[in-house]
Amino acid sequence: MAAGPYNYSYIFKYIIIGDMGVGKSCLLHQFTEKKFMADCPHTIGVEFGTRIIEVAGQKIKLQIWDTAGQERFRAVTRSYYRGAAGALMVYDITRRTTYNHLSSWLTDARNLTNPNTVIFLIGNKSDLDAQRDVTYDEAKQFAEENGLMFLECSAKTGENVEDAFLDTAKKIYKNIQDGSLDLNAAESGVQHKPSNGPRGANLGGESSGNKDPCSC
Amino acid sequence: MNMMESIVEDRVSPEDLRKFEAKYLSALKNGFVPPTTQFDYSWCLIRSESMSRVREGVKLLEDLYKKSGENDEKRDYLFYLAIGNTRIGEYNKALNYTEAILKVEPKNSQSHQLHEYITKRRNKEGLIGAAVAGGAAVAVLGGLIGLGMRMCIL
Ligand SMILES: Nc1nc2c(ncn2[C@@H]2O[C@H](COP(=O)(O)OP(=O)(O)OP(=O)(O)O)[C@@H](O)[C@H]2O)c(=O)[nH]1
Ligand SMILES: [Mg+2]
Repeated sequence: MAAGPYNYSYIFKYIIIGDMGVGKSCLLHQFTEKKFMADCPHTIGVEFGTRIIEVAGQKIKLQIWDTAGQERFRAVTRSYYRGAAGALMVYDITRRTTYNHLSSWLTDARNLTNPNTVIFLIGNKSDLDAQRDVTYDEAKQFAEENGLMFLECSAKTGENVEDAFLDTAKKIYKNIQDGSLDLNAAESGVQHKPSNGPRGANLGGESSGNKDPCSC
Repeated sequence: MNMMESIVEDRVSPEDLRKFEAKYLSALKNGFVPPTTQFDYSWCLIRSESMSRVREGVKLLEDLYKKSGENDEKRDYLFYLAIGNTRIGEYNKALNYTEAILKVEPKNSQSHQLHEYITKRRNKEGLIGAAVAGGAAVAVLGGLIGLGMRMCIL
């Protein structure tokens, strides 16, 4: 068993939601691979990515489910909301319709996740400032009114992408520390791995555990 | 861990399975099943624990594929047919489906990843299968330990 990168003490589950074409998959790709995919096809159903980050000296594995924005996947992508510790809700600053749909995305997120789920609003494609259709100030105000964290990002240049993912994790971690997030509650979206345990007991989403007969 | 493994090995929650099954059955009773209802239900089925349910899901997806005239939809059905067939160990069939997508959309990265994952999984299990067959005599004599050792040598 390779050690190093697999040592982490928490797993946080994230979802990325928002209209089709706002750049959800590109944000995920930029965060996990540090690359921009110029012509990225629409997501079929869901995509998945992971990255290990560090918050306050603790290694945390982010398991990120990137959902398809296309309407025909809506019913089933909703099932991935359950048990998310963080939700990145994305619109495209150059297309107002994607911003106008936020309240319906937010309703979904609030109804289908738990009250402690950290919701982070991302105005993506900040590199296209010349085509801007939604001002920073109005989005900021929307975020404040709804108790959301907020940043404008660019999956293309990478601007603020790290911060959006990391600030979400910091907030979740803070909720754990101050006791407002109960780790034992079902569907908290957080799993704690006792440090230096041989392997985490039950790591959701990873079922590769028992296929390893050859340790010789 | 392969990213695609998380998608293929993701399991549906019992509540979702029940919910989408109820919706499908009631549509069936009313004499018309909208494609989305059938698709939602098959997506649940192919993520279910039971192989016979996965097979049901594959059948429903094959039916959707035959009836659909829309290219994007057809691609989605092929993608999930590949996942369903992978789950029941029909790797060659699954690979035919991913190849079919890649013929039309050579740059579809999700399908590339899935294709690669299925190929690896097939080869790995093929190797284990060969070891089991080749090790049969050893297994009879030496029991499971002998078989285990044989697998490790490979
Ligand atoms: N200029 C610019 N283009 C971007 C940015 N992010 C994404 N794009 C482009 O926007 C298009 C859509 O991006 P995706 O990441 O596929 O969008 P999505 O939200 O995942 O779409 P669905 O999977 O259909 O829900 C692609 O052509 C990207 O290249 C960005 O920050 N700046
Ligand atoms: Mg996408």
